Amino acid sequence: MIELKNVKKSYSLKPALQGVDIKLNQGEIVGLFGENGAGKTTLLKCILGLLPYHGEITLDGQKINRKNIGRLSFATCEHSFFPNLNAKAHRDFYKMHFPNFRNRRFEALMDFFELPSIQAIKHFSSGQKNQFEVIMALSQGADYILMDEPFAGNDVFNREDFYKVLLGVLEPTETVLLSTHLLEEVENFIGRAILLNHGRIVGDVTTMELDEAGKDLMSFVKETYRYKPDRINKILSDLGDEEEDPK
Amino acid sequence: MQKIEFYVPAGIDGAREKFGFFVGLAAAAGYSVLVFAARLGMAYRALFEVAGNEKILRQDAVMNDFSWVANGSLRGFAVFAICMAIMMIYHYVYHYQGSKSIYLMRRLPSRWEMWRRCLTLPLTFVVLAAAAVIVLLLLYYGVYILVTPDGCLSPGQWQKFWNS
Repeated sequence: MIELKNVKKSYSLKPALQGVDIKLNQGEIVGLFGENGAGKTTLLKCILGLLPYHGEITLDGQKINRKNIGRLSFATCEHSFFPNLNAKAHRDFYKMHFPNFRNRRFEALMDFFELPSIQAIKHFSSGQKNQFEVIMALSQGADYILMDEPFAGNDVFNREDFYKVLLGVLEPTETVLLSTHLLEEVENFIGRAILLNHGRIVGDVTTMELDEAGKDLMSFVKETYRYKPDRINKILSDLGDEEEDPK
Repeated sequence: MQKIEFYVPAGIDGAREKFGFFVGLAAAAGYSVLVFAARLGMAYRALFEVAGNEKILRQDAVMNDFSWVANGSLRGFAVFAICMAIMMIYHYVYHYQGSKSIYLMRRLPSRWEMWRRCLTLPLTFVVLAAAAVIVLLLLYYGVYILVTPDGCLSPGQWQKFWNS
């Protein structure tokens, strides 16, 4: 289990995370949602130790350090592969550093997405780069797979394929924490949704709880963020009035 | 022996970089030899006066100090060392180019992997450059002593060099 206790992070006095408490149980598929600047990326980077923070983040009760960091993998829209290396060289690199590397999964996903294995990743299309980034995160052999907007730039068919494959390949012990804006797309794929707003957790619900309440994820998010649909009508009507009135 | 690729950031051609560093080191050494030879020649010629077609050793001739002769000959190595420092920084910055592979490097179970890849090759060449400097200095000093005519050498050259 990954546990965050009162995690705080600021960027030059501007708070990015304000006392975040989360427990991620093994085997969960969790969606992390929030508007731009809500703190999603910061949260993932704090878990991975890529950013300093205040508070406590533990993995099965232990601080996350070099001894257990291999149990976490990361796929980011910023990409963390080596652009000059090809897929085979990446596989060798990962095998060297992550003893639980899932070679069969790697080969199967490379085949499925028809990615070339001897071409440097820098020559891939942006969609292929995203796919490769996620393939490496899934193949590392990690128990906790953290993904930060991994499908940004991919077309909808591509993304759908990935969700289906992801559901198919994940083992019951593997946990996914997926940060994305694509609420409706991942609704049927995740088991739990965490909502961040201005660095605070404002919602944490399982899809089962939503089903029981007869709500869908989008309406839960809108409700949680106190979304006001009439504000659109208001601005359109204000603008309309302005055009009609030449003064 | 491990491949050179394990000692440079992943994706950098280690053999090519090593070759480049050797060329740089050779250039620094070549520059050093040329500067030393030129200054030694100047100092040596200043010991003589020309009478017709003959060169005669001046009676009061004193060879310029070794520190003067060797002055500037090691400048190329200093430039090389600065280049190696820049290469260390480049190796680190490389992990931000085209992607953020720094994220992967920073979350590897092996703490020293990134530093090994960023620092090993440039540091090795700094050590090689330092060794070359020592060897060349000893060689230059030997040549300086051999070339200087008897009676033209002022004492304490080695100490003067280190004090200069």
